Amino acid sequence: MVALIRPESWNLPLFLHVLGATLTFGATATVALLGFAGLRREPERALWLRRLAFRIGLLVLVPSFILMRAAAQWIANKEYPGNAKTPGWLDVGFIVTEPGAILVIVMLILAWLSARRVGSRLTAAVPWLASLYVIALGIAWFAMSAKPGG
Amino acid sequence: MNLYQWLLFLHISGAFFLIGGIVVAGILHFSAIGKQRRPSEIATLYALVRFAVPLIYLGLLFTFAFGLWLVHEAQFGYGDGWVVTAIILWVIGSALGSIGDKSQRETRLVAERLAAEGDAPSPDLRARVLSPLVLASTYASGLVALAVLGIMIWKPGA
Repeated sequence: MVALIRPESWNLPLFLHVLGATLTFGATATVALLGFAGLRREPERALWLRRLAFRIGLLVLVPSFILMRAAAQWIANKEYPGNAKTPGWLDVGFIVTEPGAILVIVMLILAWLSARRVGSRLTAAVPWLASLYVIALGIAWFAMSAKPGG
Repeated sequence: MNLYQWLLFLHISGAFFLIGGIVVAGILHFSAIGKQRRPSEIATLYALVRFAVPLIYLGLLFTFAFGLWLVHEAQFGYGDGWVVTAIILWVIGSALGSIGDKSQRETRLVAERLAAEGDAPSPDLRARVLSPLVLASTYASGLVALAVLGIMIWKPGA
């Protein structure tokens, strides 16, 4: 019921956080889709799909991720100011976004490398990393929305 | 976890499926816009949109069904202004999305036919991709989904 009685000043950061999270989910899923599609095409078409996956990762996923993470920090600072102990469900969010940022960076580097030449062995890693991150986002949205354990 | 927590999780999952699916479809549609896009490229991108469609329909179902259940569980009223507005926008957004989906399916079939007939860039196909009806319905459905998200968070008048 906490969501029903939250202060008015939490609404904007919450809106931006959820918006960023849904955009991140959609952009990551698109990178995965293009990446998997790129595995099964003729070399020229595969390269084009991989370039597209890299561009979407850079131009949509990264800004969405930054929006999600910055808004999360904004609302976390309001809800748990200073050194207040954070609950487990919030820690799950930090776990998914902080090592998650490294995963996104690694995925983008691999996407960039695999978009440069045909037959790159890195090609298959990109859609699988994107799929892994989609699952991690799912775990975070379960923790954030259901808040198991309070 | 109590019933309210489960319902909120399922309702928010619906929002993720719905907006995430719209984002996937929107990005792929936007990627198909290009002067030199060949029909086979457009067909490939529109074929991938098909994966987003079940996600969008699942999102529509989850947001609506679990949203109504949440209204009851959280003791809001079904006649509250923000609830009624959200339902009206949900219906408008669904209708707009359905128009865009139908048009994109037709465009994909045209793109597949042109790809089989030599795969040269086609002004007619480009006109279909850039159709004001498709662009307006696709992007308006996304904006409506955002408006509903805003209503869910601010709950004006609640």
